[in-house]
Amino acid sequence: MKLFDYLEPGTIGEATQLLYDCGEKPRILAGGIHLIPRMRKGEIEAEYVIDIQKIPGLDRIVTEGKGGVTFGAMARLRSIESSRIIQSKYPVLYEAIHQITSVQTKYMGTAVGNLCVGTPASDVATSLFALGARLKITGTRGERIEPIEKFYADYHLTSLKRGEMVTGVVLPDSPPGMGTAFLNLVRTHADIAKISVAVAIVVEDGICRDVRVAIGAAAPTVFRAAKAESLLNGEMITSQAVNKAAETASAETRPITDLRSTAEYRREMAKVLVKRALEKALARAGCRG
Amino acid sequence: MKKEIATFKINDRPYEVIVTSDMTLYELLRNLHLTGTKRSCGVGECGSCTVLVDGNPTLACSTLAIAVRDKEILTIEGLSRGAQLHPLQQAFVDGGAIQCGFCTPGMILMAKALLDENPTPTREEVKEGLGGNLCRCTGYVKIIDAVMASVEKMRRGDS
Repeated sequence: MKLFDYLEPGTIGEATQLLYDCGEKPRILAGGIHLIPRMRKGEIEAEYVIDIQKIPGLDRIVTEGKGGVTFGAMARLRSIESSRIIQSKYPVLYEAIHQITSVQTKYMGTAVGNLCVGTPASDVATSLFALGARLKITGTRGERIEPIEKFYADYHLTSLKRGEMVTGVVLPDSPPGMGTAFLNLVRTHADIAKISVAVAIVVEDGICRDVRVAIGAAAPTVFRAAKAESLLNGEMITSQAVNKAAETASAETRPITDLRSTAEYRREMAKVLVKRALEKALARAGCRG
Repeated sequence: MKKEIATFKINDRPYEVIVTSDMTLYELLRNLHLTGTKRSCGVGECGSCTVLVDGNPTLACSTLAIAVRDKEILTIEGLSRGAQLHPLQQAFVDGGAIQCGFCTPGMILMAKALLDENPTPTREEVKEGLGGNLCRCTGYVKIIDAVMASVEKMRRGDS
């Protein structure tokens, strides 16, 4: 690892100013589980490392007035996983974190850090897409809140501009009648997913609404299968509708072939996982389907 | 800063050390001749280098030393009281849960963090808790047995 300037801002304002002033090569250190090994291997070079671990309040998980929940950039995966509010209101996020095998990774790593890596294989991001999460992005010129879909521009490319950082995640309230599910396929449980799927669905009098089907590791970014969603929104739930949605979602993937799977296998498994996830979410929403 | 004199609290003992920004906690510990902490993969995947920082299991290979100055660091050397082994250490010895021994310090400290949080885990919870620790000798059954035996022993108040 090359020597770098280690900086410890005490506030978000100081952090964003440093990010802006450091120009080309600043890196934010949160949990460090992605950054430090890659700096050691020389895959990431940083002239400035801005450690945000001591900024007060960034680790909080807070229930908002309207029933939603917000957590900060320093909320560790372990705290989110252990949070009773998250477990009861957003089981899909709990499940996506719980299946991460390394407990050390969860004690150190943060959800926001995981998002900012920008990998399409993020199980955390996939579950947050299904929950309709929005990201709080703070820069030297103020704060903006954008849907998580907008944050991902391309493979490992986020919408962050110079001087900006993600300071938190805003989860909308989970309405009664909402069912969710998270499923993935892995070579071994310590590895990242070959493909992951998270869905959320609200059923009212047998009719679905607010359907969100998120797929990870099957395109340059995590994405929502919009065509599959629109097939289900406003419709009565039948097994034919679920099958059709699963086929449509599969056709919306743009997978690659790599050492974990072939593109063909990923496309096929997208269909299987979307179907199973929809069935599981519908059962949880109290619908027999 | 790129280089500074910092104070570290390791196993209840203060250390004043010149650290550079690029130094990992693992390197710091080895420089201080605290060689109980082992590095195996070096990229945060195997759990060998696990130490406790303010009680939280932490991968020393993936942690900047400077970021943990002034925190309470516990390594395997700080676990026994003189010649008196910690119940977990004793259980590993008694149960033959050590083969080459390279993963053992990380396993024991991870198990300690687990038991500090949940003193009466089920076998399944122990397995999950040690999910981030690899044993290349594949002695997992005895390792889990040893943790369960120490739970039982501590519950009975033998130690």
